[in-house]
Amino acid sequence: MKREHQDAVDGGGSWHPEAAAMEDEKGKGTMGAEEDGGDDELLAALGYKVRSSEMADVAQKLEQLEKAMGSSTAANDDALVSHLASDTVHYNPSDIATWVDNILWELNASPTPLAPRPPSPPPPPPPAVPLQNHHHQRHFDLPLAGPEQSTITTVDLPTAPRRLADNYDPKPLPAPHAAAGRIVYGSDAQSVVAPSPRDRKRMKVCSSPPSSSSTTDAAKSDKALPVVVVDTQEAGIRLVHALMACAEAVQQESLKAADALMKQITVLNTSQGGAMRKVAGYFAEALTRRIYRPQPHRGVGCSSRDSAALDNILHQHFYESSPYLKFAHFTANQAILEAFAGCRRVHVVDFGMRQGLQWPALLQALALRPGGPPAFRLTGIGPPQPAHSGALQEVGWKLAQLAGTIRIDFRYRGLVAASLADLEPHMLLDPNTGDYSDGGEDEEPEAVAVNSVFELHGLLARPGALEKVLGTVRAVQPRIVTVVEQEANHNGGTFVERFTEALHYYSTMFDSLEGGALAADAACGGGRRDQGLSEAYLGRQICNVVSCEGVERTERHEALAQWRARMGRAGFDPVAIGSNAFKQASMLLALFAGGDGYRVEEKEGCLTLGWHTRPLIATSAWRVAASAGGDPIAAAAA
Amino acid sequence: MLSHSPTEHRVPSSIYTVVQPQQPTMAMDLSSAYEQQQEGRVEEVFAVINDNGDLLAEVLGRLDGRSLAAAGCVCRVWAGVSRRESVWEAVCGRHVEGGAAAGAGARPVVAALGGYRRLYRLCLGPAADRLGAAARLSLSLSLSLFSIDCYERRLGRERGHPRPASLLFLDHYNPVDVS
Repeated sequence: MKREHQDAVDGGGSWHPEAAAMEDEKGKGTMGAEEDGGDDELLAALGYKVRSSEMADVAQKLEQLEKAMGSSTAANDDALVSHLASDTVHYNPSDIATWVDNILWELNASPTPLAPRPPSPPPPPPPAVPLQNHHHQRHFDLPLAGPEQSTITTVDLPTAPRRLADNYDPKPLPAPHAAAGRIVYGSDAQSVVAPSPRDRKRMKVCSSPPSSSSTTDAAKSDKALPVVVVDTQEAGIRLVHALMACAEAVQQESLKAADALMKQITVLNTSQGGAMRKVAGYFAEALTRRIYRPQPHRGVGCSSRDSAALDNILHQHFYESSPYLKFAHFTANQAILEAFAGCRRVHVVDFGMRQGLQWPALLQALALRPGGPPAFRLTGIGPPQPAHSGALQEVGWKLAQLAGTIRIDFRYRGLVAASLADLEPHMLLDPNTGDYSDGGEDEEPEAVAVNSVFELHGLLARPGALEKVLGTVRAVQPRIVTVVEQEANHNGGTFVERFTEALHYYSTMFDSLEGGALAADAACGGGRRDQGLSEAYLGRQICNVVSCEGVERTERHEALAQWRARMGRAGFDPVAIGSNAFKQASMLLALFAGGDGYRVEEKEGCLTLGWHTRPLIATSAWRVAASAGGDPIAAAAA
Repeated sequence: MLSHSPTEHRVPSSIYTVVQPQQPTMAMDLSSAYEQQQEGRVEEVFAVINDNGDLLAEVLGRLDGRSLAAAGCVCRVWAGVSRRESVWEAVCGRHVEGGAAAGAGARPVVAALGGYRRLYRLCLGPAADRLGAAARLSLSLSLSLFSIDCYERRLGRERGHPRPASLLFLDHYNPVDVS
């Protein structure tokens, strides 16, 4: 093991009592000292480098250190000292802040100094999960307790990573897989379990300032289980801090600081593995775009409408490798099926046709419904595809073939529209009869369903577009409107708020992909390729959310509550999605390998699919509100 | 003891083998066999399973998917019988909520989408592996997944894509495409 910089501490002997002595002095001298900039002169004279502005932070940590050390009995003291002295990596104590951090980590790692906890063999990873949360919470709290502290921590970065790089043993980086065991400290077979990337990232941002009681609680609860790999986790937290600080710098338009932070981010990112590295990579790239190209212009790869062919491929792989789109399709189909009960003529309008993967299942369900299949008409809407014009028609043709084999009367119409706002109600008319609802004597009117999977949020980029589209939808008098959207608010508040929200959201999504890919890997080799392409699909969204503004920024996700309000204002009433859909969705998720983390939840009549505790997408169903002064047909149908 | 019929592709039902002392075994229908037995000219009458395709189908239809697939490797007769849709329909019926009765109306749709054997191989078999033999998938869910797969094959055929991957999430092993 390395012993470094022992000599840097003056006064000979073990630095342990030195630190205790220093702590008293600092405790007296620094509470309330708020000089900013530069190192504290008193301490500098003694060879310790602490920035004056961080003193309160460091003092607090030293308090914790004292508590942790003080709680050990005399017998354990020897063990503690010898443990710290002989078997561990030593850090430069002159950089107090880092040194205290590291010592605290170590203390939590070793079983001996913390009295109530017996040394136990490492438990399986799942119980470690809530503790990692707590750990993170603690560390996250400290810098976010006040804005000045957060910038301080990040300004610290130019020095810290280099020291970290010096002082850490060159251990091999952890494998990207979750739960890879690692021996960090070579002593007495203390094998510690690396946190799975998903654990590392479930960081809750607490707005309330920490109290020392909360930190000691955290310290106590940590004792029950052996801990975590220090270096990557620590670097992971610093990475997140750096990203957030960079976002703040960008918001304040201090581009030099942003640039400096970006360099730190790239350095820190190399120490990460798995989902964290990828997410951070995408966010860093998006921030870079934003920094270096402030004028909104045709950003390459930021808008999903660019390079539609690539978008289709990515979408296809995302469909195949993760359950989100399948969940969306299955739940929407179930709602549509139930709304069409008893109708002999049905018409479905799909706002995002793509490959038409949603419709075979609905066709099959209609074929098997009691009473036999209806006459089915499908209108598929898609963006212009210069490279492959006629794609929309081709999809329709394939669906028609399928419908033919299962004996459904099928008609298809493809509409190419650059934006949904270009749609007019008359375009959705039945071309044969020239009316939405056939006024003929013997034919009953068409039952219309409008389906939108991740298509509505793009309309929020242009004011008034969503209202126009919803007006068009109303004009068609649908029986049901199914809407699937991301359950996140990436459209509100300041840039930093959006950035933070997106960071959490996409971290969770990447975690879920990681979980799925691991299981798929065990099954067959294709998992990784699909995962990479799915991540690229999400990466485009990240790029758009972070680096685009104005009309370019089409990924304007909003949460379910916000969509409810919008739909309500546009004159729609919610329709509860039944329990059949819930059961089917749950069964579908159960089939997914690595699907243990997925959760299907019902929330006021809407179904959400999430990863562990975080809902990620939500399906909702709507119908036109029965209004007094409205269309008499609508009123009769409602 | 086996009776050899030279053309053995269509196995006629109710062929019984008759053992007579000091004579080659003979095949005949049931009534003649028992007649001969009454007359004391016959020592044993037994049915050979390979001669009774329907009987064999009844028996094989009670197997689980893996065993049935293995049974199809025994001999040509068994291979033929084990590929019957009725046999696989029986197998599928046991893995679906509501049992075979619920699935009866689905027969034309399943046939159009590729048949029960394929349905089992792509959906119900892997699902049973994943969820345990006792679990029952809903018919609608399994057929939905099946229809998606069928559709993707059509999509992929023209563009020369590799086999559709939508249902790969169900796979436990690298299946060999023997269709």
